[in-house]
Amino acid sequence: MDDKGFEDKIFGLVSYVVVSARNLLEEPARYGPFRLVDTASRLINILDEAGMSSDRLKAVRDKIEAGKYSAMGTEEEFEQFLETTVFFVVDAIDNTGD
Amino acid sequence: MDVMTAIKGRRSVRSFTDQPVDQDMLLKLLEAAVWAPSAGNGQTWRFVIVTEETMMKKLKMVSPGLLGDPPAVFVIAQDMALSKQKGGQMGPETLTKMDSAMAAQNIMLAAHAMGLGTCVIASFHPGAAAKLLDMPEQIVPTLMVTVGHPAVKPPPPKRLFEEVYWFEAYNG
Repeated sequence: MDDKGFEDKIFGLVSYVVVSARNLLEEPARYGPFRLVDTASRLINILDEAGMSSDRLKAVRDKIEAGKYSAMGTEEEFEQFLETTVFFVVDAIDNTGD
Repeated sequence: MDVMTAIKGRRSVRSFTDQPVDQDMLLKLLEAAVWAPSAGNGQTWRFVIVTEETMMKKLKMVSPGLLGDPPAVFVIAQDMALSKQKGGQMGPETLTKMDSAMAAQNIMLAAHAMGLGTCVIASFHPGAAAKLLDMPEQIVPTLMVTVGHPAVKPPPPKRLFEEVYWFEAYNG
């Protein structure tokens, strides 16, 4: 991906975050955490496409993608997904792959 | 496909294949939309169908609820001036939302019967979407429906039944 392509992807993500910030003033509360983890996943995708990702980042993205739509399920399912994702990230903190 | 099968088989699909949706299928869905009921038969809805990649990319930037990469999106808008003229204050405030929702449901059921997947979206910035789509001031986007060939068919969420109805009177 060239610099313009990278900037273009980042611009799309920035737009997604800014519009989300505005819309979340009126949207269901759980859309907030959903948008945060979705943003994390999108950011990792962009880094991956630019050859700047890592195994642990891709693992976090895969974890998010596998469970993010629990936001449309019960509160308990979504909370459980977020909780396990937190500890998934914690377990990867020292796993830099170096 | 009978109506009850379509109602119970439809899912909110957020993952689509790369296969485009034929224009004649999109027009069939549009036909389903305009056969929905509308308040006072107002038919104040207006539709923009986005399929072109550049516009889709822009639309996604202002539509956080537009997830995945659908090949087509129905933007269901309403002519608010016409709605006020036909429906009074209740028109723009309430009836337009109901009419858009009924048109959206028709699109989704017809799409399901045609083997397509859909998801209805309210999470977008109406003003920003209107600007991108070059809509005149009185035309306001109210809902979007993504359409495509489903890559994944989600399982049906649990439906409440016994707990949500009574005959004759509430709690009767």
